[in-house]
Amino acid sequence: MKTETRSKIIEIIRKKNGTRPIELVKQLEITPQAIHRHLKLLAVAGLIESHGRGPLTRYFIAGKPQLDRVRRWLASAAKPAENPEEFVCRTRDVFTARLPRLALFAQAGLNEDDAPLVIAAAGEVGNNCFDHNLGSWQDVPGCWFEAQATGGRLWLCIADRGQGIFNSLVRADPALADEQAALAAAFERTLSGRAPENRGNGLKFVRNVVNGGEGRGLACRSGAGLADYGRLGPECRAELAGFPEKPGGAVTLILWRLA
Amino acid sequence: MRIRLEQYGAILTSRPAGREAALAMKALLRPAADETIELDFTGVVSVGPSWLDEVLSALRADYGRGRVVCLPTKNASVAESLKVIDADPGRPGF
Repeated sequence: MKTETRSKIIEIIRKKNGTRPIELVKQLEITPQAIHRHLKLLAVAGLIESHGRGPLTRYFIAGKPQLDRVRRWLASAAKPAENPEEFVCRTRDVFTARLPRLALFAQAGLNEDDAPLVIAAAGEVGNNCFDHNLGSWQDVPGCWFEAQATGGRLWLCIADRGQGIFNSLVRADPALADEQAALAAAFERTLSGRAPENRGNGLKFVRNVVNGGEGRGLACRSGAGLADYGRLGPECRAELAGFPEKPGGAVTLILWRLA
Repeated sequence: MRIRLEQYGAILTSRPAGREAALAMKALLRPAADETIELDFTGVVSVGPSWLDEVLSALRADYGRGRVVCLPTKNASVAESLKVIDADPGRPGF
């Protein structure tokens, strides 16, 4: 019976993508004390995690990223109403200044030898947002840069409301058929939307890095294109599957297993 | 002569920053004929291929590929960056 209740709690948290204890009390019609007891046991077992404090505490499935805010930001047809300063880096300087924060995830289990790779990979993806969209933003300039450690995993999300990878690369290679082909070219060929400049190795580096270890992965969506790399790439792909397919913009999700 | 890259920052990413660093290096460099230019990564937290490509391309264009050397380091971002940079034979100075 108790196991069944805990299963229901997990299912509700999963479906609602996070929930407060009071909502569980109402939905399951059991006492707050019982709900808190179940939540505590599930948290100790590493299945769920709490975020926030006091009455604002919400419980989430451990190991899963919270991407609702960036999804809304990216999906907005008009200029997004919410551009949270803690995530949106409107200039390259702001983005660069935030990169060193990734080293702080050593406290969450990021291996000392892995930190340089994580930072460099995030740096390449984030700088691409600026390199390839200068003068071509849909509305909000810059990139969304967010890192979350949950359930022994580090998730990095970098998104932009730029022209999209296809629009950038098709100038350099007019034979590119669609957004899917452009995404593959971006990660697998030395091709740059900044041609004739000699560029185009940044995303190959990122792909090599995630392919270079078991506990790593990434997925990238730009319009209808969706690609993943690395052992954990399919998990990243699953998270981005629900992101908008509208043309323009790009979102990259990197997953790194922590020690 | 040795260039201590930590002088250019702990985290070295982006082409604009690499280009600016390369220009600063070239202004300071006065190597003797045939003297090797060594890039020392001690103290650098992370390097991206975009930054390193800008620096290596600029230095190799002026001094030749053989005279510009990356000193050994345990920093994995350096090795991974060099892999993609040196895999592309179309770059200036290569």
